[in-house]
Amino acid sequence: MTERWRLRNLRWGAGLVAIAVAVVPTLTLMVPHPWAVPLVALAVALVWPHQMRRVVPATLILAALYGFVMVDNSSRWQLSLGGMHEYVMVGMKYVPSSLVILPLAYGVLVLGGWLAWRTAERTSELGRLVFGQLAEPEKRWHLWAFLLVPVVLMAGELLFTWCWFRGGPLGVILSIAVLVATHWLVTRHPGLALRMATAGLVIVGVAGVLATRSPDQAIAIAPGQLTHVIWPPGSWMVDGVLVFQSGTLPGPALIQGLAFAGLGLALTPLAFPELGRLAGLATDGELTRRVQRLTESRAVVVDTAAADLRRLERDLHDGAQARLVALGMNLRAAEKLIPVSPDAALALVAEARATSARALTELRELVRGVHPPVLADRGLGDALRALALDTPMKIKADIDLPDRLPAPVETACYFAVAEVLTNAVKHSGARAGQVSATHRDGALRIMVTDFGVGGADPARGTGLAGIEKRLAAFDGIVAVSSPVGGPTMVVMEVPCASSSPRISSS
Amino acid sequence: MRVVIAEDQFLLRDGLARLLAAHGFEIAAAVDSAPGLLRALLEFRPDVSVVDVRLPPTFTDDGLRAALAARARVPGLPVLVLSQYVEQLYAAELLADQAGGVGYLLKDRVFTDDQFVDAVRAVAAGGTMMDAEVVGKLLGRRGADEPIGLLSPREREVLELMAEGRSNSAIAQRLFVTEKAVSKHSTSIFTKLGLAPSDDDNRRVLAVLAYLNS
Repeated sequence: MTERWRLRNLRWGAGLVAIAVAVVPTLTLMVPHPWAVPLVALAVALVWPHQMRRVVPATLILAALYGFVMVDNSSRWQLSLGGMHEYVMVGMKYVPSSLVILPLAYGVLVLGGWLAWRTAERTSELGRLVFGQLAEPEKRWHLWAFLLVPVVLMAGELLFTWCWFRGGPLGVILSIAVLVATHWLVTRHPGLALRMATAGLVIVGVAGVLATRSPDQAIAIAPGQLTHVIWPPGSWMVDGVLVFQSGTLPGPALIQGLAFAGLGLALTPLAFPELGRLAGLATDGELTRRVQRLTESRAVVVDTAAADLRRLERDLHDGAQARLVALGMNLRAAEKLIPVSPDAALALVAEARATSARALTELRELVRGVHPPVLADRGLGDALRALALDTPMKIKADIDLPDRLPAPVETACYFAVAEVLTNAVKHSGARAGQVSATHRDGALRIMVTDFGVGGADPARGTGLAGIEKRLAAFDGIVAVSSPVGGPTMVVMEVPCASSSPRISSS
Repeated sequence: MRVVIAEDQFLLRDGLARLLAAHGFEIAAAVDSAPGLLRALLEFRPDVSVVDVRLPPTFTDDGLRAALAARARVPGLPVLVLSQYVEQLYAAELLADQAGGVGYLLKDRVFTDDQFVDAVRAVAAGGTMMDAEVVGKLLGRRGADEPIGLLSPREREVLELMAEGRSNSAIAQRLFVTEKAVSKHSTSIFTKLGLAPSDDDNRRVLAVLAYLNS
């Protein structure tokens, strides 16, 4: 049984349960159950995650219409946006209003969207629509920002009671507008939304606690009340006039207020890391990770630098230095031979010249390995073009780097590309390849492609890991795609600012 | 024959001047910087110039850029560029105008003075001289399935020497064959590569290099 198959069955099962929960009470009550709209939406989201683009707006409109009809039919109503307990009274029945159904539908949609998104592909339209920036993995902790929706509803009860309690078309439009604005804030500016939600939770919680301190009332009117009583018990309508108090008992209101305030305080280090650090309450996780990454990459840089120096010393010792010693010996021998045997001396001098040429060649290769001349002369753009020309394979260079970049970044990227191309020549069997490079939005992006056999495994071999570590020193990243049959594509991205415009080649 | 020398290291500049003077060249100017080179080239319009790639003020590729700038104003102005390193990219830039009268050699080639002086003369005559290293790398980029793979080993040798800018007689001397054999090889090479044959040495070199660079 494959993972995918299991997930699909799970989604179908959950979808059917959702439909059952929506339909059965509706049949028994003979009125549309308040949960019907969001539950059906949840079922659709689970079974056909690709349809979410259509489902989201359709559900919100349906929920609004449903509540609107209910409100309109009621002779008398009392409602608030604040919590699920607030129903419109029609005779003896409690019927939900659109102002309850809408946030309910929204909440279920987000939940359904999240479930569907987890089981389906993460890059879907749905991810972007429902989660906006939150779809990015590094923003995952921002999911707490969704708390802003209930917080807005509860704060609305506290601050804008008159608007909130209004039913009818105005109420529907208002509630949709509030929802849309809140959703936009949550998904586009999750950091800000999280801060607002956290502050709001504390305020609503404190307001709830304060509401219980009124001495002359048996019940408290606390914002966002989760429990609801009619006081005194048994009171109802007298001559068409409601004679009761509706609200929360002080005990539950106190617990609820403390819980809200507590949740708000618990989220404070996440929402306001600067506050947490000031108070010494929490360490910044992001900062800790960054310090760790820097420590690791610095160790790599120091190691590589030391290894490079050792290699340089060895190459000089075995190469140019040895040749110069041989050269000196040859010349000394020739010096002695000149009076005795000029011909033999001549041969030695010729040999000395050949040795000096070899020493030069070796020094040249050495310098090329330390800091390639074109890179020094012209910068990364032309250096990559030169590299493409020097590679024993046809490489198309598509380079758009008008400015010079910081020298260490240029060097690291140059050698990274050189390494990738060397691998391509050795292993891919490709006859052609491509190198493209751009510098946009403060990031250098280089893509090396070869049209070879593919199947390169980044986990094997040290080349790619080495590149990754070297680029990590600049917060750079590397990605490899190499399906069997090719092509192999290596993408490198390094954040950097351009240092100076290139000296124009006149 | 008047020559301009651009080299920032005094010993080498002096050595080059002596070497060329000894072979009958007249030294029009010996300069040590790129701006000086550009002025000298435009003022003296020498028959040939010998230019180091790396020159002041920035000690990068100033010499090459000055030479290219001069050739942009005076097309075909003969320039022999010397460098500690040969770069395909710079070779391609020098060859881009297809005007001939261009050389690009490693500095070590100066040691073999007769060959070096031959190269200077060839460039002065409007020829093209490319370092063996440039040609080797150009050939190295070719796959076995390309037309170049059809060449026999001997034809490949001839092609390399042709691309370096050598004349038929020089190639014959190098390979210890007759000139006639060389011209037979060269016809066969041009047929296999699908190039139009040419008796003109210079045009032949340019055609071969353009083919290899494509």
